Amino acid sequence: MTAATIIQSLASGLLMGLLYGLLAVGLALIFGLMDVTNFAHGEFLMLAMYLTFFLFMFWAVDPLLSIPLVAAGMFVFGAVIYLVIIRFAMRAKANIGMVQIFATFGLAILMRGLAQFFFTPDYRSIPASMLGGKTISIFGVFLPVPQLVGALISIAAFGALYFFMKKTDFGRALEATREDAGAVALVGIDKNKVFALGWGLGSALIGLAGGVMAIFFYIYPDVGASFALIAYVTVALGGFGSVFGAFAGGIIVGLVEATTAMILPPSLKSVGIYAVYLLVVFVRPRGLFGSI
Amino acid sequence: MTISRRNVLLGGAASAALLPLAKPARAQVKEVVIGVIYPLSGASAQIGVDAQKAFETAADIINKDYDFALPMAKGEGFTGLGGAKVRLVFADHQADPQKGRAEAERLITQEKVSAIVGTYQSAVAVTVSQICERYQIPFLSADNSSPSLHRRGLKYYFRAAPHDEMFSTAMFDFFDALKKKGQKIETLALFHEDTIFGTDSANAQIKLAADRGYKIVADIKYRANSPSLTAEVQQLKAANADVLMPSSYTTDGILLIKTMGELGYKAKNIVAQDAGFSEKALYDAVGDKIPGVISRGSFSLDLAAKRPMVGKINDMFKEKSGKDFNDYSSRQFMGLIVMADAINRAKSTDGEKIREALVATDMPGESTIMPWAKVKFDELGQNNNADPVLLQYNGGKFVTIFPPQAAVADAIWPMP
Repeated sequence: MTAATIIQSLASGLLMGLLYGLLAVGLALIFGLMDVTNFAHGEFLMLAMYLTFFLFMFWAVDPLLSIPLVAAGMFVFGAVIYLVIIRFAMRAKANIGMVQIFATFGLAILMRGLAQFFFTPDYRSIPASMLGGKTISIFGVFLPVPQLVGALISIAAFGALYFFMKKTDFGRALEATREDAGAVALVGIDKNKVFALGWGLGSALIGLAGGVMAIFFYIYPDVGASFALIAYVTVALGGFGSVFGAFAGGIIVGLVEATTAMILPPSLKSVGIYAVYLLVVFVRPRGLFGSI
Repeated sequence: MTISRRNVLLGGAASAALLPLAKPARAQVKEVVIGVIYPLSGASAQIGVDAQKAFETAADIINKDYDFALPMAKGEGFTGLGGAKVRLVFADHQADPQKGRAEAERLITQEKVSAIVGTYQSAVAVTVSQICERYQIPFLSADNSSPSLHRRGLKYYFRAAPHDEMFSTAMFDFFDALKKKGQKIETLALFHEDTIFGTDSANAQIKLAADRGYKIVADIKYRANSPSLTAEVQQLKAANADVLMPSSYTTDGILLIKTMGELGYKAKNIVAQDAGFSEKALYDAVGDKIPGVISRGSFSLDLAAKRPMVGKINDMFKEKSGKDFNDYSSRQFMGLIVMADAINRAKSTDGEKIREALVATDMPGESTIMPWAKVKFDELGQNNNADPVLLQYNGGKFVTIFPPQAAVADAIWPMP
């Protein structure tokens, strides 16, 4: 193994890791806000990818340009899902955790089924786009442009999110609702509105990830499944509810995956991720940056 | 008149005596139920949905009268069973061997199927065929290609199509032929998924490479449906073999080619073990990146020039599915025809009788839609007369390039 292959592996791992972080942060945000794990997270990604695909197919909108549109569409979708499903699931008097799990799990199965029915199970992909298939090479290290742009979008999104959470009124309202929903209601903040916006924001973030991924990944109704698992372990590793944890968790998952594949046969590369996660559980069960 | 118990008994006896006159002596079979197990949802749903159309085309040909030189085409339904119609019951195994087991059991015990055809994934064929064996219901692998499937000593297992050792042998015969013509082929890189299909295929290729003096410089086993194949492709790139030999389903095949482009790796040549590499979806997505890719197959549409019925049946399939027959849909179609032909000759829906008829099958190649010599099963249930072909993707379609007797064009080597 040469130095070039090691650097290439780490660079690829870092780029994928930043994308994993972006994939996971919506999940972390929603969990942090209201202790609900969205088991339809992968299907939200699937929907975002199909939105990008259809914008390209029917209106020839390049994925790079449609990313903000997809994020906006997903914002509305997320908020609506909260208002028509999650809000009611949270009213359960007993076994509230179970009700939420099954509500979002049911949503996942429903979305997959509808996607297969309406979009057919055919594998789609965006054949040509401004970024697709392009790659730049620095001293023999190849950096695919879509992943590079994805990494930049991820960093920008995390930066904006940090600013938003700490410096704006709405961000502070989110934080306050998370701490004590009852007290927040007393000062006149509508809990439902904050939660709906939180779901919208979380879904918009997965919209960003979906828009980028549609450029270089195939799209089909089950595409969310393999990524959802990565998103869950990223959130668990980084710390439930911690936005920064998702960022760090994503990078760690990406790098560990790349490193494992250098040492072990590639079919075992996810073993490294879970080994590291179990190690983290051993010393810090709430995750690296978890505050709960 | 009062109806006494004695009268009723007499009446019953009288009508029982009359019954044989009213009906033919043999119990009349109205329909023949055949179970078809495919992934209809989940990651490979596209295969199952296309398969459904292929089987429906075959059922249509069985049930209606067509003038094709194909068994079961002439006459309506099963002529050996008084014109009984075939009814297909589709079951969804979602690419999961355990679901396949449960669905096979349901088909046999609840739906009372007389035979089962399946399954795309070889891993699922393992469990489905075990259940069939237990209930003594014939199982026919329409499109499974793992060689280990027919070597398990099952009495009710049959496969009309070639398996991966036959396919891989054709590939190495092709390499040998190219070498004789002065091409340099020394090193091979294997890239295969981690279920029974990929592993069996790789094992066959490793053995053949050793026998015939080729060096395997990379043997990469990866996890199916991986979110990323970057690390895998880097190893392939470092090895830069003369021939890259992938055994991958559609999703991983697309990602492999895309990732190769991203990492600046252009394979010198690609000779694929079918699967994803015979799917339209893969070529729609990345076909422009791999002109000249070669895949093994057991079907090629250019056969229609020699055998017009191939084109006509393809049109029937295309009307239902919007796609041309490919290596999979053609084998699925043929699978049902072979099974139906056996049931017709068995003149019975009894598992053991159908099995005997399958054993006696001797179908000439000209009366199939495949480039096979004939369909005749050996004692393990494998048809060894199904000659595989190699197809090259060239100018947006597949052209048969090997073996010479089936070829319609010379191979373009190396890949452009």
